[in-house]
Amino acid sequence: MSQVALTSRGPDERESSQVRGGGRELTPLRRWIADAPAAYLLLLPVLALFAFAVVYPLIQTIILSFWDIKGLGKPKFYGFGNFVTLAQDANFRQAVVTTLTWTTCTTALSVGMGWAMALLCSMAPRQTLIPRVLIFAAFGVSEAVTGYVWIGIFRGDAGGLLNSLLGALGLGGLAHPWLGDAQTATWCLIAAYSWAQTGLPLLVIYAATQAISRNVIEAAYVDGASPLAIMRYIIAPLSMPGVRVALFINLLGSLRAFDTIYVLTGGGPVRSTETIGFFMYRESFTQFKLGYGAAATLILLAAVLIVSIPAIIQRTRTTT
Amino acid sequence: MTTKLVPQAAAMTRRALMVGTSAIAMLLMGGQSFAADISGDLVLLDWAAGSEQDMIKALEDGFMKAYPNVHFKEINLTTQGDARGAIRAALQSGEKADLFVNTWPAFRKELADAGMLRDLGPLWDSAKIGDNLSDSWKALGSSDGKVYGVTYTFGDRSAMFYKTATMQKAGIDKQPTTWDEFVGNFKKLSAAGVTPIGIGAKVWSHTEWFESIYEHLNGVQKASDLAAHKIPWTDDSVKNTLKKWAELLKAGCCGTAEQMLAMDWNDAADSVLVAGNHGYQIIGMWVNNIAQTTDGLKEGVDYSIQQFPAMGAGHDNVSSVDSKEFSELTSGSNQAAADAFLAWVTTADAANIVAKAGLASPSNKVDSSLYGPVIKAATDAVAKGDVQFVLGDLLPGDLVDEYRVQLQKFLQDPSDANIDAVTAAIEAKAKTFD
Repeated sequence: MSQVALTSRGPDERESSQVRGGGRELTPLRRWIADAPAAYLLLLPVLALFAFAVVYPLIQTIILSFWDIKGLGKPKFYGFGNFVTLAQDANFRQAVVTTLTWTTCTTALSVGMGWAMALLCSMAPRQTLIPRVLIFAAFGVSEAVTGYVWIGIFRGDAGGLLNSLLGALGLGGLAHPWLGDAQTATWCLIAAYSWAQTGLPLLVIYAATQAISRNVIEAAYVDGASPLAIMRYIIAPLSMPGVRVALFINLLGSLRAFDTIYVLTGGGPVRSTETIGFFMYRESFTQFKLGYGAAATLILLAAVLIVSIPAIIQRTRTTT
Repeated sequence: MTTKLVPQAAAMTRRALMVGTSAIAMLLMGGQSFAADISGDLVLLDWAAGSEQDMIKALEDGFMKAYPNVHFKEINLTTQGDARGAIRAALQSGEKADLFVNTWPAFRKELADAGMLRDLGPLWDSAKIGDNLSDSWKALGSSDGKVYGVTYTFGDRSAMFYKTATMQKAGIDKQPTTWDEFVGNFKKLSAAGVTPIGIGAKVWSHTEWFESIYEHLNGVQKASDLAAHKIPWTDDSVKNTLKKWAELLKAGCCGTAEQMLAMDWNDAADSVLVAGNHGYQIIGMWVNNIAQTTDGLKEGVDYSIQQFPAMGAGHDNVSSVDSKEFSELTSGSNQAAADAFLAWVTTADAANIVAKAGLASPSNKVDSSLYGPVIKAATDAVAKGDVQFVLGDLLPGDLVDEYRVQLQKFLQDPSDANIDAVTAAIEAKAKTFD
C-alpha cells in the first residue's frame, strides 16, 4: 500500500516532496517520515481489524495452549505439556496421517477434475455454459447440505443410492456400509468433499484459458495442429497460472475442512476420519479441553502457514 | 362408620369450617398475589429438539398460565451427539440463564464444582417439593450431598423397543423373558429377514447394551462402583460382560461392525420402529414420544417394549434409568421465577403435560391414567426394581468419550485379546481422573 502511495506520484510531485520545507532537499529518511503518515493512515482501519480479528485471538490461542483445562474446572499452568501430550497421542498422530491423505487427495482430485473440465469447456465455451454454472453452483451450496445428500448416497442399507445402484447393476454383493468402515469412510469423505470443491478450480482455470491469446490458438490451427494437440501443447501449459491459484485455494480450504466430516462421519468410525481440524474441534468443544485443543490449533496453523507463505511469496514476486 | 354431631359440636364444626374456608381463601388469594409478584423474563438454556422441545414449550406455556407476569425466554442450543460441549461453550462464553436442562450427573457435578449451580436444598424444603417427588428423586438430583436438580422426566433404559408387525412376521407371539429365549428368537428373526438387534454405534447408543448386560450380571452396586472407579475397568466383571456381549455378536444379533458403526441411535430407531429391518433397540423413553409425534405410530399397538431378559445371575430385577432435570444457574437474574417454576414443575399440572407428551413423570401427583401402555410398563419396571443411572452419564470429562470409542473397538473385534486391550485403555483414561 505504501509502495502504491509513493509510486503513484508523478516525477514532478516527487521532486516537490523532496524539496519540501523551504526549498531544502529532503534526506531519504525525512522523505519516508513525511510520506509514511498518509500510508499508515490508510492502512490503519485494516490493521485495527486485523489486530482485533486475527492477532488477538492468535495470542489468546497461544496463551491457552500452555494451560491444562478440563471442562469447567480451574485451569492449571501446564507449560509445553499439551504439546508433549499431543506428540504422544495416538489419536493425534492418526489425525496427522488422515490430514495428509485428505488434503493431498481432495486437492488433487478437485483441482484435477476442475482443470480437466475447464480445458474441455474452453474448447466450446457457449455450449458448456449451463454445465459450468451447475458445477460452480455446487461449490456455493453449504457443505452441511451437500453432506446430507452424500449420506443418502452412502447409506449402509439397501436404501442408500450407491448400494441400490450396485444392486440394480447386479453387483449387490458389493453393497457396503461405506461410512461405517474405517477403510472406506475416508475415501467416501474425499469423494464427497472433492465433488463440492470442483467448481472453484473450474471457474478459475477456465478464466485463465480465456485469457490465452486467440492469435496463438489460431496460428496453431493454421499450422495444422489438431484440437487435442492445441489443448495439450497450448491451452494446458498456458492455463497453469490458474491451476496454481486453484491449488493454493483448495489446499488451504481442505486443511480447514470440517462440515463434510462432521455431517457424514462425525470423525468416525472409531476416530478414523478425524483431521487435525476435526481433532481440534473434538478436544476443544466436545471434551472442552481448551488448552489441548489450542495446542492442536497451533499445529494446524503452522501447517497452513507452511503451505501459504511460500505460495504468497511466489505470487507477490510474480505480480511485482 | 357414621358419626352423629351434637349441636355444640356442629356449631364448632361450622366455625371451624368457616375458619378453614377463610384460611383456604386467604391462602388462594395469597397464592395469586404470590403468582402476581413473580414476574419478568425467565431464561431457560436447553438443547432439546423436535417433539421434546415441543413438550418443554408446553411446560413453559403451562407455567406462564399459572404465572402470567412471567415471560419465558429460551436459549436453545443446536447440537448433534453429546450436547455437553455446546453447553460448556455457551456458559463459558457468557450466556446467562435462570434455568438449565441437564441429564448427566457427572456434568451436574462439574457445573456445581465450578460454582455455576444453585443449591436447591432450601427451596426443596420451603416449597415442599418433597410432597410431590420422593426422596429417591432428591437423591438422584444431588451431587456431594446437595440438591441441584429437580427431575421432570425419566426413562427406563433397560427396555427394548420393538415393532409388533416385525414380531408377527417372525412368528414371535410371546416376548422373551429369559436370555436363552431372547437369543433363541434370533433364528426366527433372521429367517424373516430381520436383524435381531439394532445397535446404533456411530456415537454412543451401543453402550446401552454393555450397561444392561453389566447390571444384570453384576447388580447395581457394582455398576455404581465401576462408575465411581472403585473397581477398575480391567475387573473380571467388565471382561465377563464383554464376553457375554460377544456371544450375542457371534450369534448374529446385530449385523456387521461396519453396519453398527454407520448407524446413529435415530437411524436404529427408524430401522426398528418404522422400517422393521431390525428387531429390538435399547434406547431412552424419548423415542416413545418421537414414535407417536413424528412417526405417527400408536403406542402399544404398532410398537411396544419388553424388559431386558433375565440372565439368571441374581440381578434380574434391575433397570438402568435416565432422567432429565431442571437446575438453576447462578448466572440467572430471576431466581424468584426460577424457584416458582421448579416448584410448579412437580405439580399435577406439569406432570400431566409430561405424561400427555408420552413421557414418564417422577411426580406422585401425575395422573397415571394418561400413560400409554409403553410408559406404564416402563414406570412399573422402574418402580419395582433396583435402578442404576446410565453408566456413561456418570463418567466424568473425556472418560465417557474413551469408554464409547473403546466399546466401538470392541464391536470391531470382540475377541478375548481385544477385550483385554479395550478394558486396559478405558482403565488408563479412568486413572487420569483419580
